[in-house]
Amino acid sequence: MITLKRLGTAVAMTALLATGALAEGLYAPNLAYRTGPFAATGIPLMNGQKDYMELLNARDGGIGGILIDFDECETGYSTEKGVECYEKTKGQAIVTQPWSTGITLQVLPKTNVDQIPILAPGYGFSPMADGKVFQWAFNIPLSYWDGASILLKYLEEQGDLSGKKIAFLHLDHPFGKEPLPFMEQEAEKKGFELLPIPVGLKEMQNQSAQWLQIRRERPDYVIMWGWGAMNAGAITEAVKTKFPMENMLGVWWAGHDADLKLVGEDGRGYKSVSWSFPNPDAPIMADLKTHVVDPGKTQSDAEEMSGVFYSRGLVISMILGEGIRVAQEHAGTPEITPADLRWGLENLDITEARLEELGMTGMVPPFKTSCANHTGHSGGWILEWDGAKFVKATNLIMPDAEAIAPLEAQAAKDYAEANAPWPANDACQM
Amino acid sequence: MLNDIFIKPFADMAAAPDFLLQVLWEGLVSGILYALIALGFVLIYRSSRIFNFAQGIMVVFAALTLVGLHALGIPAWISVALTLAVMFALAVTIERVVLRPLVGQPDIILFMATIGITLFLIGGGEIIFGGENKVMITEELGIPTGSVLLEPWGGLLILEQKDITAVLVAAALVVALLVFLNRTRMGRAIRALGDDHQAALSVGISLQTVWVLVWFIAGIIALVTGIAWGARAGVSFALEVIAYKALPVLMLGGLESITGAIIGGLMIGMLEKLFEIYWGQPLLGGNTETWFAFVLALVVLLFRPQGLFGERIIERV
Repeated sequence: MITLKRLGTAVAMTALLATGALAEGLYAPNLAYRTGPFAATGIPLMNGQKDYMELLNARDGGIGGILIDFDECETGYSTEKGVECYEKTKGQAIVTQPWSTGITLQVLPKTNVDQIPILAPGYGFSPMADGKVFQWAFNIPLSYWDGASILLKYLEEQGDLSGKKIAFLHLDHPFGKEPLPFMEQEAEKKGFELLPIPVGLKEMQNQSAQWLQIRRERPDYVIMWGWGAMNAGAITEAVKTKFPMENMLGVWWAGHDADLKLVGEDGRGYKSVSWSFPNPDAPIMADLKTHVVDPGKTQSDAEEMSGVFYSRGLVISMILGEGIRVAQEHAGTPEITPADLRWGLENLDITEARLEELGMTGMVPPFKTSCANHTGHSGGWILEWDGAKFVKATNLIMPDAEAIAPLEAQAAKDYAEANAPWPANDACQM
Repeated sequence: MLNDIFIKPFADMAAAPDFLLQVLWEGLVSGILYALIALGFVLIYRSSRIFNFAQGIMVVFAALTLVGLHALGIPAWISVALTLAVMFALAVTIERVVLRPLVGQPDIILFMATIGITLFLIGGGEIIFGGENKVMITEELGIPTGSVLLEPWGGLLILEQKDITAVLVAAALVVALLVFLNRTRMGRAIRALGDDHQAALSVGISLQTVWVLVWFIAGIIALVTGIAWGARAGVSFALEVIAYKALPVLMLGGLESITGAIIGGLMIGMLEKLFEIYWGQPLLGGNTETWFAFVLALVVLLFRPQGLFGERIIERV
């Protein structure tokens, strides 16, 4: 009996503590992956995201006077664990940040029912850009099809693509396959040969077969859609195969300083498209030092903080923070609901002036969202590895909206039909 | 279609023999590393009938320990010695804390215990070393990093010096292991335990000592494998999945056979590479290495359930 009483008390205390914790602020869980084969990519991103929210809480008392309860649920980049994390956190959450295209695709239908915004900056299902169909999903500020388009535009600037051969080295995973419909469309239109080369999850660190194929096929360019350990594996094999580095380009998740440091000088010339860039002189970096680093609240270090991925983590949390701020202003209360946040994310206008106010000039291109445009299509830079770090190799390049929009609309329509009844946002008149 | 399956691949091989040599070389390098991992499994299985699920994470743990110690400013070869000491301590701890209390339990319990060891090493490793990709201290260990360019038949064959080193070191390790197991008293004790536990115990062979020894040897193998793989693409927890490639090697070679592990590893390494390049990529869109080895092993099991070199066990019902 005493044991039962103790148990009851413990349960009550736990419930009280949990409620207390949640009552402390807006609950914004992050389905993080700091462990497993993809941890090398995840850790700097998660650190950047977390530090930005720590900064807002420490410096500004949160957003609109309410603290942000930025909680992490570890997925190890596993889709199954990601769905568990979503189910575990959705009750109190104002947003879900699934952090993998596989998890995003799994929770996409659920968020329609649960009415929670999915925030998937720079990843997920490209047609999520169509806000009328995917009313709860956001892939701000660029989709994978945008990224592929920017890479192809950059290559076209180097010379006509007609008759060229482009190897598309990709992770054999929903993330890696995501740009294929767009790449296939463009190959037909621009007259280049597309050679898709999948890399299995178990082969990420042993890509000799894939690179033997590249040696045999002699493509003009290799575009890499890699994540985690695949990037380092591919870049070391490229060096070994003596593939000209200046003809190898990657998506933004394949532009991680730590992956290139493995090959150092041998990786000179490798390029990656990116919608974020570190700016060590930005005022936010000084604020982070004062309010987060010096008080010992960060898990990062100086080297990581100067890299592309940490900086991207900051930008990702900035997008969420701005969404919350806009939502609060619209709702007239700091204690917003998921539906309010959806409105906020649909009405972002991140201008150069706003970036300056945020102390983040040059760290992300300006962009604007709407109820119909859930991506913003900010454009991106081509970054180049100079042997020690990534530098900007181009000015901002915008994706080819005319080529992407019809494909997006068709894919969104197909998805809605395949998942009927799929509620659309008919109120959006844009 | 028949032409693509039966004629064209061989015509391609004949047309570009230098490329065929490159494929075989890459297969050999992968194969010898698969064989090394499989050897770790076999040694422990032979002496204790335990299928050591933790062999893969031991590779990661050993490599991370080496890199981590060197990052503290300790010279490379002293870091190697200290890593070996850590692997010995790990072997003693596993024997004392996990295996000894489970003596006499069914095999499946011991197998589950090794899954527990795996999870413990993953969690502990991530807490101690973090999950970031780390650079293997290849040059500090004196492993050459350049490449040797050959021109057989007027073509091109690229041999990475670190791959050549890995093959030579792995071959030396295998020879040393065979000598140890066949020519030393302790080696014979390990084999005796594998043949008959009760009989071995009755002649005074210490189960505890042998278990510590085989887990330590598995630790040494893990370190060598970790250095070789880590030198190719960095050290991270992604290395663990490579250990799963040893499973079809064991199925093919037999769980108890050292010869089987070596030949099975080399066969799978080279055949999966040949199949991927000449059949998988042109006909199936590539990435056949993910499943080819398992299918090959299953085909062998259809005809020889004990594997190519395993012992045929007949149990009376």
